Amino acid sequence: MMSKQMGLGPGTAARFTGAGALVLFLCWQHVQATRLGYQVEASRKDALRVGARVATLRVELEERLSPAEVSVRAARLGLVPVAPDALRRLPEQRLSSPGLFSRWWARRRGPLTASARS
Amino acid sequence: MDLGLRLSVVSALSLLPAGALGLRLGHLQILRHGALESRASGEFSRVTQEAAPRADILDRNGRVLARSVPAWSCFVDKAMVKDADAFASKLAPVLRLPAAELARKTRSAGRFSWLKTKMDAPEVEALKRAKVDGVGIAPIQERVYPNGELARGVLGLVGSEGRGLSGAEMTLEKRLRGAPRRFQLIRDGAGHAIYQSVSDDGPSPEPVRLTLDRNVQYLAEEALRTGAEKHSFKSGYLAVQDPRTGEILAMAAWPSNPLKNPLVQDAYEPGSTFKIVAALSAVDDGLVKPQDTFDGEQGKWQVTPGVTITDHEGQGLMTLAQILERSSNIGIAKVVDRVGAARFYRMSRAFGFGVKTGVALPGETAGELKPLSDLTKVGLAASSYGYGLAVSPLQVLSAYSALANGGTLLEPKILLDDKPAAKVRRVAGASAIAEIAGMLEGVVERGTATGARIPGYRVAGKTGTARKIDPLTRKYSTSSYVASFVGFLPASEPRWTILVILHEPQGAYYGGLTAAPIFSQLGRRLLTLESVAPDKPADPAVGTARRP
Repeated sequence: MMSKQMGLGPGTAARFTGAGALVLFLCWQHVQATRLGYQVEASRKDALRVGARVATLRVELEERLSPAEVSVRAARLGLVPVAPDALRRLPEQRLSSPGLFSRWWARRRGPLTASARS
Repeated sequence: MDLGLRLSVVSALSLLPAGALGLRLGHLQILRHGALESRASGEFSRVTQEAAPRADILDRNGRVLARSVPAWSCFVDKAMVKDADAFASKLAPVLRLPAAELARKTRSAGRFSWLKTKMDAPEVEALKRAKVDGVGIAPIQERVYPNGELARGVLGLVGSEGRGLSGAEMTLEKRLRGAPRRFQLIRDGAGHAIYQSVSDDGPSPEPVRLTLDRNVQYLAEEALRTGAEKHSFKSGYLAVQDPRTGEILAMAAWPSNPLKNPLVQDAYEPGSTFKIVAALSAVDDGLVKPQDTFDGEQGKWQVTPGVTITDHEGQGLMTLAQILERSSNIGIAKVVDRVGAARFYRMSRAFGFGVKTGVALPGETAGELKPLSDLTKVGLAASSYGYGLAVSPLQVLSAYSALANGGTLLEPKILLDDKPAAKVRRVAGASAIAEIAGMLEGVVERGTATGARIPGYRVAGKTGTARKIDPLTRKYSTSSYVASFVGFLPASEPRWTILVILHEPQGAYYGGLTAAPIFSQLGRRLLTLESVAPDKPADPAVGTARRP
């Protein structure tokens, strides 16, 4: 009679098992949350570092494209600023001739060439 | 004794400490709950703040003029440093700073001291690896200007706390400054961050686009720099405006100073560039006809007893166009005498002199016009050729832009937006404006500003050469001048108004010899940059393309 009272019934055992599983689950969840927290933090730092690098590279690109830098590189290549009197403008009516025939005719006449002081 | 009683006594005795513990637990958990909870969360969890990047400042084509990049600063907590010399010698190779400097900073007063600012990511990693006690790292946002000193007078400066101190950085502070991000930080026992959650992520500020054109700005600064080498002036300013919209395309100052924009903040006596006010007033009110002549008195005229006006060259009879071409002070003084003080004053105001233009840049000066009551015969004569008054370079630029666009004074714009040009007022009738603009073309073709000519293009403008006031004698100096030229091009359909002001040029000091060539140099570059077709096709200097 006594041993029957001390023993656990299937319902109680199931409840204990369930509670234990819940405790284990909560522990596992807590450990996972902490582990993921470290990962998130590490990723955030990575993102920050990469973001900083991207920003630095963008600034470097802008520096390379700055007019002063381009001017120095152009001078190194022997390029000089063009003067407006060196501009050669093509007559606009020739460029804007529409239609297949006029284009074919223009091609037959040969390419346009520029000459100074006509 | 009954077994049950004995068991009860033993149980009670053994449970007594547990009861005491329970009471203590209840005390801690219930009565002191609030205080202990905040203490615990202070140990493991805290709120941190991260500096938000300021918005980019872009030019009109979207090129970056100013940008914030993440950087780090490191500091020392002196309470954790026992031996400053050992500390400094350990840090010196990591921070690439002299050990003596680090030791000095560590010994200086106060518990906290910055050791190095604007560190990049590899430096920070190296510092972390070194594991030096007493060193802390703080993230900051570094403001960088990828074009170096380009347009720094306009852009301004940002202080170490990330606030704009001058220029556009200051006036646009509210638009540029981002809200800092707040984080809830949970740390482990060793103090390492386990997790950060964003608790307050403010909206990132939108980039601000200025009307400046990076290329035009560069060309303006280059022209000014070249001019400085040639004429050795003390300081020089150059501004470019689109007269059709009022947008400022470039503002250059030499030498460059990020704390000051003299084109907006300084006032000066404009000299002969101011002659357009009297001339336009006379033409607009029909007081002077193109064929009317004025006697140049051979370069010397007594306005009132004891007051004589002189010209740099003796002149005879001159039309208004010739007065402007030869920049005759006597001629314009006689014109303004016909115009009268009230009309002259009204026209000065109509051009916007004496009031701020309203440009979105800090510290703008309104200049100073003599009140109407002070415009005596002598005062009026002096004002007609730009003496006895003070104007800002931006006011002069806007006034000439009004001439260039057909007579509408526009509010100068530095912020690019979709809004139409802000019209302030109509200055004068279209025919009067066209007549004066034609006369200004004559100034470049035949007058004092031949140095501003550009082959193949029509250019209009006016020179100015004004004596400066000697600060010691408080009289006009005979050796220091302000030379200037302001004009627009191509005159047939103006796209740019350019103002050049040179303070104290050495050697040749006339505006036509010093400032006008700088205008011409910049004008040529702008015309080629934008491939503007020549508007003076008869000029043999310009070639045309043709078939062989």
